[in-house]
Formats: sequence, C-alpha cells, structure tokens
Amino acid sequence: MNKIRALIAEDEPILAHTLLLALQRLWPELQVGGVVENGIAAVAEALAQRPDVLFLDIKMPGKTGLEAAQELAEDWPEDVPFPLVVFVTAYDQYALQAFDQAAADYVLKPVSDERLGKTVERLKARLAAHTERNAELERIVGQLRSLVPHAPAAGGERLSVIRAAVGNQVRLIPVAEVLYFEATDKYVNVVTADSESLIRTSLRELLPQLDSERFWQVHRGTVVNIGAVQAAVRDEAGKLSLKLRGRPESLPVSRVFAHLFRQM
Amino acid sequence: MNTALPVSAAPYPRLRRFAIDFLITQVFNLIIAVLITYVVRAHDSFFTNLVISVCIGSLAVTFIDGGRLLLWREDRPPRVPFALLVLASFAAAQFFGKIIASQLLDIPLTEFSTVRGGNAAAMLIGSTFTFAFIIWFFWSRARMAYLSAAAEAEKARAAAVERQAMQAQLQMLQAQIEPHMLFNTLANLQGLIAVDPARAQRMLEQLIQYLRATLSSSRAEQVPLAHEFSLMDAYLGLMKVRMGSRLAYTLDLPPALKDLQVPPMLLQPLAENAIKHGLEPKVEGGSITVRAERRGDALLLTVADTGLGLDGAPASDGTRVGLSNIRERLQALYGVRGGFSLLPNTPNGVIAQITIPL
Repeated sequence: MNKIRALIAEDEPILAHTLLLALQRLWPELQVGGVVENGIAAVAEALAQRPDVLFLDIKMPGKTGLEAAQELAEDWPEDVPFPLVVFVTAYDQYALQAFDQAAADYVLKPVSDERLGKTVERLKARLAAHTERNAELERIVGQLRSLVPHAPAAGGERLSVIRAAVGNQVRLIPVAEVLYFEATDKYVNVVTADSESLIRTSLRELLPQLDSERFWQVHRGTVVNIGAVQAAVRDEAGKLSLKLRGRPESLPVSRVFAHLFRQM
Repeated sequence: MNTALPVSAAPYPRLRRFAIDFLITQVFNLIIAVLITYVVRAHDSFFTNLVISVCIGSLAVTFIDGGRLLLWREDRPPRVPFALLVLASFAAAQFFGKIIASQLLDIPLTEFSTVRGGNAAAMLIGSTFTFAFIIWFFWSRARMAYLSAAAEAEKARAAAVERQAMQAQLQMLQAQIEPHMLFNTLANLQGLIAVDPARAQRMLEQLIQYLRATLSSSRAEQVPLAHEFSLMDAYLGLMKVRMGSRLAYTLDLPPALKDLQVPPMLLQPLAENAIKHGLEPKVEGGSITVRAERRGDALLLTVADTGLGLDGAPASDGTRVGLSNIRERLQALYGVRGGFSLLPNTPNGVIAQITIPL
C-alpha cells in the first residue's frame, strides 16, 4: 500500500504546527505534504497534491473550510478518490451541532491527543476499506448539503428589483425577469432574456435575499431561476447541465447540487 | 407627554385619587351643612341640609374629576376651560343633587328652603367663597395629578436609561470574552507550551492582563486612557501571536494624554472589529494603528486598519450591535459633542474615529 498523504489547512501558524506535531506523534507513517494558510491555497494545493486526508480549518481567510470543501467537491477529478476530510474548529456550539448532524469528522481546537487518536483510528479504517473510499465524494457532498447554509436568513428582506449600474444610468431589473445570476471575480452577472448587467456584490450576499423556491443554486457560481429551465441534460461523462428558455447557453450543475435534478 | 404614560406603582391610581377627592368633598359637605344650618339659618334641619349637601357635593366631585379625565386625561388642564367645567359641573350637581335628595328625604322639591331676606347677604358671600374655594380646590387637585403623572414618567425614563446602560455593559462583557476567542487563544497556548515555553509564558501573561483589564473596565465608569491602551496592547499582542506575520500593530499614546479619564471599552470593540472583519479574513493580513490625539478641546481616538474595508466583508449583526452601542453610549454621555465615524482608509481598510469633548 502506498504511503498515506495528508494536507493541513490552518491560518494560525502555531495551531498548524501543533496539529502537525500531534499527527507525527499519533500517526508516524502519515506523510504531511505541507501546511497552507488560507482557503484559496487549500483548494489549489489539494488539487495539486491530491492527498488522502485533508485537515480543513473552518475559519480561514480567503475561503472558509466549508467553502473550500465545496469547491473541491465540484472540481475534483473523476478518476481520483476524494480525500477524507476532517474539519478543525475552535469552540462554537452551533457549528458542533451541525457537524454532529451531518456526521462529519471534526476535531476541536485545542486538539487533545485522545480525540485526535480516535480520529486517526477512524481514518485508518476508512482508508483500508476501498468501497468506502469510492463513496467518499458522495459522503462529503451529503455532509456539505446540511453544513453549508443555503436557507434564506429569517427576517431578511426579499429583493424585488435589482439595481444595476450601466454606464451613467442605473438599470432596474425586476427579479422575476432574471434567468440566472453568475458570479464573476468580484461581481455578479445578472442575466435576463435580452440583457446582461454586472452588480457589485457576491452571490453569498445575494442568495438570502432571493426567493429560494424560485431561485436555486446549481453551482458555487450560479443561481438559476428555475422557471427558466427547460431541461436538465446529462452528457456521456455523467455531467449535468441545464438548458434554458430564451438563452442559447447551458449552465453546468455541480455534483453538490445534482440531487436537485433527480427524476421524481 | 400626551401618549404612553407609564402606569404608576400604586394600583388604580385614578380610582385612588378619586376616592381621596371624594372623601375631602364629604368633609367639605359637612362644613357646608353646618354653615347653612347655623350661620345662614335656613329653616331646614341640619340633617336635611347635610343630605342635600352630600348629594350635590358627591355629584359635583364625580362630574369634575370625570370631566377632567375625559377632556385632558393626565395632562395639566387649561385654566379657563377648567373653571368653566367646575362651574357647569356645580350647576348640574345642584340641579340633580336636589332631585336625588328630595327622593331620599321624601320632601317635595318645592319645599326646599329659599333663603330668607335677612341672610341674603350672608348667602351671597358664602356661596361666592364656596365657589372660589371649590374651583381652587379642584384646580390644585388637577395640578397635583398632572405633576405626579409627570414624576412617574420621569422615574420610568430614568429606569429605562439605567437598564439600557446595564444591558450595554453585559453585552460588552459577553462580546469581549467570547468563547471562540478564548478557546482559540488557549489552543495557541497549548501549542506554544510544547515548542516555545518562554513565548508561552509571555502569551499567558498577556492573556491574564487582557482578562483582568476587560473585567475591571466593564465595572468602572471612567478609566485612565493609559488603561485602555494597555488593554489594546494585551489584546493585539494576543492576536499577533495567533496571526503571526499577518498582523502588525502600532499604539500611539502621547504622554500628556495618559491620565485623561475616558469611558471604558470604547477602543476595544473597534480593534476587535478591525481584526474580525478587516484583517482576519484578508489573505495577506495587514496592520492596525491605535492613536490618541488632542484636537482643540476634543480628544480624538482612532483605530485604523489596512484590511478588507467597509464593503469587503458583509457586517454581521453582532458588529452592528457593537457599533451602534458605541454610538448610543457616546450620545448618552456627551450628546452632540461626542461623535463616532467609520470611514474608508487609503488605499484600503477602515478608519474608525471617536470624538470626546474634554
């Protein structure tokens, strides 16, 4: 059996070092391929190193641990088994409840050898069982579904009109006319049947203000007006995409959201 | 004062007041009965006069108090309309009181005495005084009612202010020693003990200084500015250990301002805000500068960071509460002479500034 490889993503240097030392103590044969300090580097390094085990701090700059996991689940290559993910978090009552409900692996900071030892045993057992390895991606997708907050914030206001600056005028776009929202670098592209406008916000901020019955997130960067979707099409490689009414382009659906388009 | 008057402490304050008015009126009725019988010398007996007097007086007090409540509630009644109310009430009470009395005594209304010639002057003087006295009496009672309602309202307001202050204090305390911060710091300490005991020792000292300063600050009303800066030093020092090279900080307190007394915990939420929303979520980190300076007759406290900036991270509700607390505290303490502003820093980040009059 090949050496088991791990990657640690933790923004606080002392904590990263502590976790590294504890792992060396409890799991000497584990090869830690490095420590990254933020969510963006975590995704890039994980895709490059393709580790077997991934320790993800929840609160990191750039991207949270959950966002990094979600992005990895979307971009992970088909032919490589998905890493076993262990979330690392400081005390947070609500986060812990969520982790327990999602049956996700997590360790608490400060890390105790006893708790980490148990995690190590569990990881070893799951790495040994090949069938489980193959189901790892589905497992994490299922966990993320309940961990990543997508329910609209209670009491939040609903947007009815999008105000988009175009040149020196502000265009008013009724939300009902929007076919989909697409995240670009710092902006969100608002697409209707006959126009595209950029607004300076993030999908994360926009999402709670949309009617969740009507607007579905189908990819980390796409929210679609479900009334505008004509069909969900699966290609030969098994990838899912949406055909729209009134637009020529089709929108990819990520693994994380594919369950929304299973037949009834 | 017209709306939302507080309910006073005693139950049924209006009923209580009416009962007192009623009782005083009865004493007054007794006096009038004595006067009419023995001074004016109407030919009716003392008992008859007393019954008539009680009937008229009771109706009068009911009309006047009832009318006042209906027309002006707890407010101070205007002078002339109030006098008119008293006169009208008294006339009505005379009319209906006599009818009731005649029923009670079984004497026809027509047989009630009219005052005979010799005593007409005495009657005139007597009734003038009576009217004047009645008007004055009820006017004072109405004023007292108004004043006591105003006093109650003032008391309730003072209590509300105090409650707000208490709440702010509690919230501050909770905000400072939030479990997430504490456990993260302890996790760092645990790690340091193994690899660098000397640094762990320093970090522990900083944690102790931070906890001690936080607790004593949240109990005091005023603290020396130097105290607030040493709290800043401890807090930012702890954060520096945690964030490593991602955080740099500078404290700038001119010696002349060290002993100035300021309200505690004004800087702390600003620094925490800068870390939480500006620097911690920024991949490359940045720096914080905390500065005190004197400008004219005002003290300027500034917390500037080079973080993500005002529109970088959406402000959480917790932050908004923290900042609106600061604004409310300054408003309560200094009115318009105090100030709080949040401005963009160049090239990026936020400048939070507090102005305190000296």
